[in-house]
Amino acid sequence: MSQRNRELIPSFSRPPSRVMIRRVARYEENLLALIYESISEFKLPLKDKTILLKPNLVGLDPQGVMNTHPAVIAATRETFLKLGAARVLIGDGPALDRDTQAILESVRLKEFTGKLGKDFCDLNIDDVERVELQTHATRLKELFLPKTVLGVDFLVSMPKLKTHHWAGVTLSLKNMFGIVPGSCYGWPKNVLHWAGIDRSILDINAAARPDFAIVDGIMGMEGNGPIQGTPKAAGVLLFGDDPVAVDATACRVMGLLPEKVDYLARAGTMLGHLESSKIQQLGEGIDAVKTPFAVLPEFVRMVA
Amino acid sequence: MPSLVANILEMPNQSERTDFAAGLGDEFVSLLKTLQNADGGWGFHAGEASRVEPTSWALRSLFGHAEAQGTESFRKGAGYLQSAQLPDGSWPPFAEMRAGSWITSLTCSVLAADGQSAKNVAAGLKWLCDDFPRDSSPWMRFVQSLRPKSHIHSQNDSYRGWGWTPKTASWVEPTAFALLALRDAPAEQLPRNAAERRDLAVALLYDRMCPGGGWNCGNPRVYGVDGDALVLPTCWALLALREAPEKPGRALSLAWLQKELAKIASAASLAVAQITLENYGVQPPHASRELQDWSAQALAAQGTHVLAWVCLALDPARRWAPVSATIRKDAAGKTS
Repeated sequence: MSQRNRELIPSFSRPPSRVMIRRVARYEENLLALIYESISEFKLPLKDKTILLKPNLVGLDPQGVMNTHPAVIAATRETFLKLGAARVLIGDGPALDRDTQAILESVRLKEFTGKLGKDFCDLNIDDVERVELQTHATRLKELFLPKTVLGVDFLVSMPKLKTHHWAGVTLSLKNMFGIVPGSCYGWPKNVLHWAGIDRSILDINAAARPDFAIVDGIMGMEGNGPIQGTPKAAGVLLFGDDPVAVDATACRVMGLLPEKVDYLARAGTMLGHLESSKIQQLGEGIDAVKTPFAVLPEFVRMVA
Repeated sequence: MPSLVANILEMPNQSERTDFAAGLGDEFVSLLKTLQNADGGWGFHAGEASRVEPTSWALRSLFGHAEAQGTESFRKGAGYLQSAQLPDGSWPPFAEMRAGSWITSLTCSVLAADGQSAKNVAAGLKWLCDDFPRDSSPWMRFVQSLRPKSHIHSQNDSYRGWGWTPKTASWVEPTAFALLALRDAPAEQLPRNAAERRDLAVALLYDRMCPGGGWNCGNPRVYGVDGDALVLPTCWALLALREAPEKPGRALSLAWLQKELAKIASAASLAVAQITLENYGVQPPHASRELQDWSAQALAAQGTHVLAWVCLALDPARRWAPVSATIRKDAAGKTS
């Protein structure tokens, strides 16, 4: 992670964030060309860097509706390599099933990326390092986090566009739950639930804030996500250099109010920009791609 | 389980398969031994710092081989585990983490047969039996009783198991491992409330079973939607319930696992499913993949625990979760 992302920077002192929306109807499109073109516009400092892509691999998903699609992961990896990265790792620590290989097989990741070998990291069983939490959003004083996550130069959160039955939405910030190692905290990482899901999201992202976010909204999930919801085609990919701004934009695409998502409202004070006025919108406009997502009754307050 | 056990007869070339598996297991065991660190423990991967869980699984796997007992390798491994134990009797995932966890159950189970670890095991089991999940405390249940009936979960909170971390909530896998620890430990080491904890935990496992059989992490139904079972939680739960009173749910779950096995594409799930079915006297049907599809190095790359599970699965004479006598007898009959 960059030094900037190891520090808490209040929103008022951050420069405007950039978020790009691209229309993509199907995973069979030329994703490499589209993703290469999109990421290139951000002119990211990638030369000779080690990058970690953190997709959302939450469970066995032969239908491709709950996990970040492997075609998006593979095209993103190739893009970063073409842009000069020395190494692009892929890593996740699934929250509910410790058989990560079974999940990889079910999403057919290898068919898209080729053999990854040590370039895939099961974050649930990676070596860990103690991180003292700065935010104290929860009562947790420390977390043990994977050395791979803490050691890379550039961290990319790659969630699926989904609603979530506990947190309201699960996007690039909530996706970071997956870096918390199950070998220390279990499957699910229940200690975070007891500390408060919303507040845990803040502590985790303050400890390991993504440098970039890419949301797979080509096929999303509405209702009782993140696993048992209903597939919802939104036909978009979102890119951005601020995970809070990306998540806020993703909410707006879903017809939801980001300021009504508890953890996003708090994140907007210290981790990034929530307000539209501080987000430079690139690519498609939000209204042009808006696709209202259904939410559970507990979250109707979020509906715009 | 007559309908399931009958499948043993349909298994071709059982003796050849066992011989082959045993040979392959030797190669895997050799690699597992070489991964031991100088401090006696194993990391999740080669060259990584020792952790309690992979050390426990490695010892479990190596301990099944008669020649490994009493060896320097085993004693060093047991020594690492003893030194990692916290003063309260629990085991953390690794030394720097100073809080106990579900791994206490696994470690107690593994060290239960080691006479030199008797005090460690007794202290671990006491910690375990004193640790109650907070979500089902009398106070929490009282608070729940004042609320409208939940449409989120449909579980019975009067049953209590164990959590991944202390004083949180009951989940299927840590509950199963605690039951296995209580089963594997000598009776004289069990705390006084062990029987009561066991009964509550067995009831919890049956309560948390998925409607179609099998278990996931412990959410059989959320927001009115049935949860899907997963292989590993199902296996651990079935192994934990092996000596529990028979209930229809157990046979249903065994049938689910038997059916699911054909689709398993990972070594970890395949190995543990095979161990579980053989423990119940059910010959595993042919799967889409076989354990010999993976090299020892490939398994080690997935984690020491995966390599250890495969070693166990390929060991026809394993002591823990042993192959049922029914299957052994059948294999012997075919050999002769």
